Amino acid sequence: MPPLHRSFGLVAMLVLLALWALLPLALPRHFLDMTNFAAILGVGGLGVALLLGQCGIVNIGQAAFYGCGAYASAYCTTTLGWPAAAGIGLGALISAVLAAAIGYPILRLGGFFLALATLAVGSIAGVLFFEWDWLTGGTLGIGGIPKLSLLGWSLNTPERYHYFVWVVLALALWLAHNLVNGRPGLAMRAMRDAAPAAEVMAIDMHRLKTAMFVICAVLGSLAGSLFAHYVSFVSVQSFTVERSMLFLLVPVIAGAHSVGGVVLGALFVALVPEWLSALGDFHQVVFGLVLVLVVTLFPAGLMGLAGGLLERVGRGRSTR
Amino acid sequence: MSFGLLQQAVLSGITNGFVYALIGMGMAVIFKGSRIINAMQGEFAVVGALVTVFTMQALKLPYALAIVAGVLAGALCGVVIELLFVRPMTRRGASEESFLLLTIGLAFALAAAALYFGGRDSHMLPGFGGPGVLELLQATLPVHAAWLMLAAVGVVLALRLFYTRTLLGLAMTAASSDADGATATGIDVGRMRLLTFLLGGGIGSIAGILVTPLISMNYQMGIGLTLKGFAAAILGGLVNPLGSLFGGLALGLLESLAVVGFPSGYRDVVALSLLVVIMIAMPNGLLGRAGRSGG
Amino acid sequence: MSAAPPRLALQGIAHSFGGLHVLRNVGIEVPAGGLVGLIGPNGSGKTTCFNIVSGFLRPRAGRVLLDGSEISACSVQQRSRAGLVRTFQAPKVFERMTVLENLMVGEHKSTRTGVIEAMFGTRRARAELAACRERAERCAERFGLQALLATPAGLLPAGQRRVVELARACIGEPRVLLLDEPSSGLNSEEIEVLRRWIAELNRGGLTVFLVSHDMGLMTVCDTVHVLYFGEVIAAGSLEHVQADARVREAYLGV
Repeated sequence: MPPLHRSFGLVAMLVLLALWALLPLALPRHFLDMTNFAAILGVGGLGVALLLGQCGIVNIGQAAFYGCGAYASAYCTTTLGWPAAAGIGLGALISAVLAAAIGYPILRLGGFFLALATLAVGSIAGVLFFEWDWLTGGTLGIGGIPKLSLLGWSLNTPERYHYFVWVVLALALWLAHNLVNGRPGLAMRAMRDAAPAAEVMAIDMHRLKTAMFVICAVLGSLAGSLFAHYVSFVSVQSFTVERSMLFLLVPVIAGAHSVGGVVLGALFVALVPEWLSALGDFHQVVFGLVLVLVVTLFPAGLMGLAGGLLERVGRGRSTR
Repeated sequence: MSFGLLQQAVLSGITNGFVYALIGMGMAVIFKGSRIINAMQGEFAVVGALVTVFTMQALKLPYALAIVAGVLAGALCGVVIELLFVRPMTRRGASEESFLLLTIGLAFALAAAALYFGGRDSHMLPGFGGPGVLELLQATLPVHAAWLMLAAVGVVLALRLFYTRTLLGLAMTAASSDADGATATGIDVGRMRLLTFLLGGGIGSIAGILVTPLISMNYQMGIGLTLKGFAAAILGGLVNPLGSLFGGLALGLLESLAVVGFPSGYRDVVALSLLVVIMIAMPNGLLGRAGRSGG
Repeated sequence: MSAAPPRLALQGIAHSFGGLHVLRNVGIEVPAGGLVGLIGPNGSGKTTCFNIVSGFLRPRAGRVLLDGSEISACSVQQRSRAGLVRTFQAPKVFERMTVLENLMVGEHKSTRTGVIEAMFGTRRARAELAACRERAERCAERFGLQALLATPAGLLPAGQRRVVELARACIGEPRVLLLDEPSSGLNSEEIEVLRRWIAELNRGGLTVFLVSHDMGLMTVCDTVHVLYFGEVIAAGSLEHVQADARVREAYLGV
């Protein structure tokens, strides 16, 4: 990379970092709420992005694990009186085990069948969250979930949560980045591009897919726990198929192959409906249409567009 | 468990089964003609039903004409979708995931549109043959349900005749099996695919219009119908509209009988779990290989 | 005569699809360091035989042995770990990945670090990745692919795809290289390049088993087996086989 590009990139990074740090001081609480939600969406959406971009798997069931994490955190901290970390851990564990158990058979399916199976998982989870109201409180939900506290400092304002949740997301992105650029990432993309050839390269595709499905579920569960401790109240309305769709939208809008793009996608999914809500119920139509348009016209998503633009700018600069 | 309860479960299972079969048939038609699995088939049902309701209530059309309007609306939807989205994506050589995301996105968009235009309320249509019920042994069957079954069987037979006896139907089958070969014999593959979506949309609307008098229709029901319809279609081997009939009936009966005595929410759990099990264990459906090639 | 078992052996392989018998009692031996070809007209069962050897198909009867150990029940991945690597008739490169990445995948079976280690970017994982990249670069040099390292494999013409596929198969130092109709889709120049590559790899000690309908390509083999309607009707050097009466009858109707 020519030195000009590199220092430009560094300056841009620092500017973004400064903006992020100063955000809570500049914005109203209401807006911060949405960016915090964007970060939570980002954590869950990252899992779905990994499955979509690396394995070519469409997962419409993320809300199941999101709910798992949220209810585990809620139940453990309210009814059982456990510390928050235990609730988060339990949620992640249950999600991982469920994902492994469910994933093992269904990941043998391909394409649409697999997507449908994930949808079935999400729908079944939704029904169970509703019917098992002794555990989840049904439509009444579980309230009074304690806030998280870090080193004695209680995260009870959107400002404080902002600093916490985005760091968590950054950490998750870093882990994903390592995965994608490492040997597992190579194996997954090989599997996605030419499965028989990948088999011949001794790639155990089924095990890889199952591992990724578990990772996706754990991320979803983590997002759910973060959500529960932020809003202090969870009920079934948050864990519907629509929520799974939101998680799916994050990588689709951003461009599934870009890990960093998850941030952009999450911000888009969290903020745009809010801005469009002025249109009333019509905003959902617009939103659905956006999804369709992005898939049809911009299969590489926003990051693809941005990448194409940068490339053209770069080319323009170098032809001198 | 009383025998009466069992009989009632059987009857309602069969009734539901026919509805699932109709949705499944639409999916089978579209898959047969374009190799695309339509995740928004249930939305055609919603569109058809809501348009019928609208033309009856707001435009004061007689019921029969309103039904025609509804079916046409669904067919038109299918055509628009093929022209606007499927065609350019096919030309671009889009991946399977992309088509999948497209139909999912369309399902979402159409459901949202139904919400916007139809509101959150459920809408009702009058039953065929009036609001009465038939008494069979210890159970009752709404008269409309009987008409629904007849209509569904009629659609199946019509489809079978269409695909095997008419030139157009044969051309559509040819175009999807081997696009190049079909083009070589003068078949316009693009038009065949358009007709496929027209037919699929129309059948979907018919399903929606038929089911509304029994359970009413609101904007959210599309996805549930799609899932059940897909289960029916898979059980029937996916390419075979007749197979969807058997698949739908099997699904409806199993679903009803499995939850006699349980809250109805679990019925969906049963159906969905069954769907997943079927996909894993019986990818070729109940009818085996024969299901895949029939029509 | 040495008592070492042949590198690759098929014994009594028989297969049928429905009622159609495609292979009957096929027996082929590939000695270590040998270059054996299987030739036959279309429909003779070459592809079926190949798929059985590579693990994509389970035969109705018979055994496949690698260095004397039976691998008939092994999956494709297991056979690959044991050193049996195949190419495909239409070269299956990883289209959206660069040539370098394609080669790196070729070494997958040497991965010792798992998903978790890769995620945390441990020193071991990073070192392993760097070593893998280095080996891929050296392999690319060996096969003359240095200039193409950053090119997505899907953009390459057929001849270069074939070389990439070959390089990818060889990077893991396989014990047997299986080539499925390697000359398909190539023009005469590219076939000549391919022929020289195969000969050179074999000279370097690589055992090769190839399937083709192209007589010209067969000149590079030391032994040729002729398959006709599922049976091996002749085996030996190319001249011997071409002079064989039954082969002439099968191919030329003479």
